[in-house]
Amino acid sequence: MTDFNPTILAFCCNWCSYAGADLAGVSRLQMPPNVHVVRVMCSASVKPEYVIKAVTQGVDGVLILGCHIGDCHYMTGNHRTAKRMPLVRKAVHDIGVDERRVHLDWVSASEGEKFQNVITDFVNEIRSLGPNPLREVRL
Amino acid sequence: MNEQARLLQRIAFEERGADFLLAMREEHGNVAPAMISKGGPIGEVRTDVPYQLITILRDLYPWLPEGKIAVLMRRCDEKALAEIAKRGFIDEKRIVKIGLACAQDQIEKCRCQDPVPSAVDLGTPGRPVDEDALMKRLLSMSAEDRLKFWIDQFRKCNKCFGCTINCPVCFCEDCVLEERLYVAEKSIPPGPSFHLIRAFHLSDKCIECGECERCCPGDIPLLTLRKMVAKDMRDLYGFVPGDTKTTSPLLTTLENEPLEDECREC
Repeated sequence: MTDFNPTILAFCCNWCSYAGADLAGVSRLQMPPNVHVVRVMCSASVKPEYVIKAVTQGVDGVLILGCHIGDCHYMTGNHRTAKRMPLVRKAVHDIGVDERRVHLDWVSASEGEKFQNVITDFVNEIRSLGPNPLREVRL
Repeated sequence: MNEQARLLQRIAFEERGADFLLAMREEHGNVAPAMISKGGPIGEVRTDVPYQLITILRDLYPWLPEGKIAVLMRRCDEKALAEIAKRGFIDEKRIVKIGLACAQDQIEKCRCQDPVPSAVDLGTPGRPVDEDALMKRLLSMSAEDRLKFWIDQFRKCNKCFGCTINCPVCFCEDCVLEERLYVAEKSIPPGPSFHLIRAFHLSDKCIECGECERCCPGDIPLLTLRKMVAKDMRDLYGFVPGDTKTTSPLLTTLENEPLEDECREC
């Protein structure tokens, strides 16, 4: 599966993870170019529907990045995300899509290197999983 | 007037002082929900037809005149009422519960784990069924086989919205499934996103009544999907819907304190 280039969607929160991604870019940290970053105001504004839609439309991996617990700009926004996303992962697993395709992580604005690591690890993991089986499905 | 009707009339109007009775009634060979006023003709009431009367009550509620409403309730109706009352759609004090225990064959059809209402007025309590056989089989399968099974099932969906309309706990004013952002317009079958979004939305309120599966024209085992997500909810947060005292874990912080700007609808 070396020639497989996964498509990965990363929802980054405006206040921490997007700034972290910015820092990673400014510090010229190398990372795989498969990631499409979507800037959202808070990780809690990533509706589970967005993740489900992405997975069922054939995106190989969905990454949700937010501020660390306690650092949310909106006080309890990432608490919501932390409660929802495990359930989305389970629901996705129940219909037979690997739950590792949905990943939730916390990256703060000063963690450029962590951003690089998260992206690299996730892309490698999705590479080993192969393409999303739902991409080929025509209903 | 049959035996059951007489009994119901006595319990609802004479003993418990209700002004209306909501029950399933047979008319011209068809069974449909009926709102029966006190003193009015009661007709051929049927208690063996499974239907979530609470859905009808929830939809009728804003237009009902003052007075107490007696409703024939199975255990699942009771739990649905708790979920609806918790969100402020129905005042529980106006409802007179008449407990109806399900027959054993009905319990087996629903794979119900909790079939006996808090107070039984009609019927004999049956034994709960431990496990959903299909769910057990699916969870022991490999992921590819499970996906193949569900894709084959979801192909039968013709997006009739029966599962949404008849669901007692589906009460968002604007349904996301009607938004073309999530489910494409004119797409039949609608694809797994339709069912997955519904499964997620019901995760903290589905009371496993099985109405979605009963009314599905494609015979999709929707109740099994609900039970799978309910199991996930139990495993993750230890939460079981159907109690007025508990709050959904999706509406609390990680320390289980309520969120401030809580949305009452979804």
